[in-house]
Amino acid sequence: MPASLKYAYFPGCVAQGACRELDQSTKALTRALGIELVELKKAACCGSGTFKEDSQLLEDTVNARNIALAEELNLPLLTHCSTCQGVIGHVDERLKERQETAPQYVEQVNQLLTKEGCSPYKGTSEVKHILWALVGDFGLETLAAKVTRKLSGLKCAAFYGCYLLRAQDHIPYDNPYDPRSLENVFTAVGATPIYYHGRTQCCGWPLSSYATEQSFQMAGKHLQEAIAAGADCIVTPCPLCHLNLDSRQPEVEQVIGKNLGLPIIHLPQLVALALGVSPKELGMDRHIVSTKPILEKLGL
Amino acid sequence: MQVQFKILRQVQGAAPTFQTYVLDVDPSSTILECLNRIKWEQDGTLAFRKNCRNTICGSCSMRINGRSALACKENVASELANFEAATHAQNGNSLPEITVAPMGNMPVIKDLVVDMQSFWDNLKAVDPYVSTAARQIPEREFLQTPAERARLNQTGNCILCGACYSECNAREVNPNFVGPHALAKAYRMVADTRDDRTETRLEQYNFSTDGVWGCTRCYYCNSVCPMEVAPMEQISKIKSEILDRKDAQASRSIRHRKVLINLVKQGGWIDERLFGLQVVGNSFRDLGGILSLAPLGVRMVTKRKFPGKFEASENTQQVRSLIDSVRAIEASGQVQEVVADTPEPVGG
Repeated sequence: MPASLKYAYFPGCVAQGACRELDQSTKALTRALGIELVELKKAACCGSGTFKEDSQLLEDTVNARNIALAEELNLPLLTHCSTCQGVIGHVDERLKERQETAPQYVEQVNQLLTKEGCSPYKGTSEVKHILWALVGDFGLETLAAKVTRKLSGLKCAAFYGCYLLRAQDHIPYDNPYDPRSLENVFTAVGATPIYYHGRTQCCGWPLSSYATEQSFQMAGKHLQEAIAAGADCIVTPCPLCHLNLDSRQPEVEQVIGKNLGLPIIHLPQLVALALGVSPKELGMDRHIVSTKPILEKLGL
Repeated sequence: MQVQFKILRQVQGAAPTFQTYVLDVDPSSTILECLNRIKWEQDGTLAFRKNCRNTICGSCSMRINGRSALACKENVASELANFEAATHAQNGNSLPEITVAPMGNMPVIKDLVVDMQSFWDNLKAVDPYVSTAARQIPEREFLQTPAERARLNQTGNCILCGACYSECNAREVNPNFVGPHALAKAYRMVADTRDDRTETRLEQYNFSTDGVWGCTRCYYCNSVCPMEVAPMEQISKIKSEILDRKDAQASRSIRHRKVLINLVKQGGWIDERLFGLQVVGNSFRDLGGILSLAPLGVRMVTKRKFPGKFEASENTQQVRSLIDSVRAIEASGQVQEVVADTPEPVGG
């Protein structure tokens, strides 16, 4: 681990809304690891893939502004949401490429930004999910050495989120079809990874507002598979996956006609638990599916 | 080197079982070359589709190490380098192992051969032909500028191999969804300046969740496509054309998009309380929608998960103004278009 790690923290909408426990946990985790966060209070929603459906220029411009806010601080932009990572990370990737291949497009984005008093996009920063920051910057060996409460015996099933794996042309550390970074984090904190097909699939969230049954069938399939594979919980680096798998789980149970009761944990919650942070401080009492069974298993 | 091939075999009406074959191969061999050798040297009963051996015909699509790909395009060395499960296989002879299975979302006829009827039917459903029926026959051909033609290159590269359809997460739960291959072709028609049915097509692709709104944005189609057709990008472009023509009352899927942008203009971040109310409840116009949200709302409040307050971004005014400026540029038709640098379609 470098002497000091510091990031421009992009909280995203969900961690300030229905998953405030994620914001809380990210802050608790980085505090425990000595990582400094500077919150981007002026940032805006990445559009969660929806801006692009309206127009590519809209997605690129709003997110070029988000990245430029981190560039002003000379810091990498840190996300804790697979969707924000995929969207902003891909905008960064695309604009960096277009600086070479279609500079007139980047120029247009920058004219829009400067006209509104924003800093122009320079392409000097990086967009980094907290999972990648843990694996690549902090290092899993250093993390393992900091563990004060090994999560021995806890069987964790990863749920990566589509945007983290497939929205960018290139992702560090993982093969998008056979990712290992979450499972490696589980091992580093003493937990046991559980493998199942659904871990790289879609949770169904994008359809949940208007094709609820299809969306919940998708979620139900993965939840049942994870249970069948022996998981005590699912761990996700994406709050949108969390919403569909946790907050809608009672409705998912109705659609598939089966009881599930599988706790869905945010990645920063899991790691912070292993560093001795209390479940209450991580908002683990604020999930729709009770987290008690796993906390009891850990003797907490 | 010695490699074990673990192949999922099946005949209609029976459960699939894995069968393993060990081959001494050159690491540069394609998976198709390996399958041919298994068939010719070890087991003539193994069934799979093949033809050109050269990434042109699209026949040999199958699931290799868990994702759909062309057997003639992938090779042993890259499979072993990129898939940890392949190099650390827990088999009895400790050999590196490559898993091969039939495509998904289609029933198996035998072994690696699937019944692609629904794939072809869904392609047909989007009316994949340029229509010039309503036009006077011109004295010369229908002319296009090179720039207009260039817009068709990316979708024109599709070789109809089925890889995108096989991995499509939406198709798995929605038998009416026509699939990424069909919608990529649909955009090829929408983008073609010679076609005279654009408006009818957009209505057709806008229907329920059979067309573009059935896509769950899992990105699998973009990711597995061996020809870089990027079907999800083409679906997005059709959505964009539809969103230009419709208002928030047209359907809940359209309202979802319109409300999201409006809320970002209002608060920089999305106020999730308003999102549900405006999209699903249609701002109190859809009482059934509001009632459907009630159990979720009660659960969220009980568990203290419901956001009690909303804090706008510190510079929402700037975000709002920026979005308006983007809109103004688009309205004036001055967007710097970037046409994907895609070569001419291959093959016939």
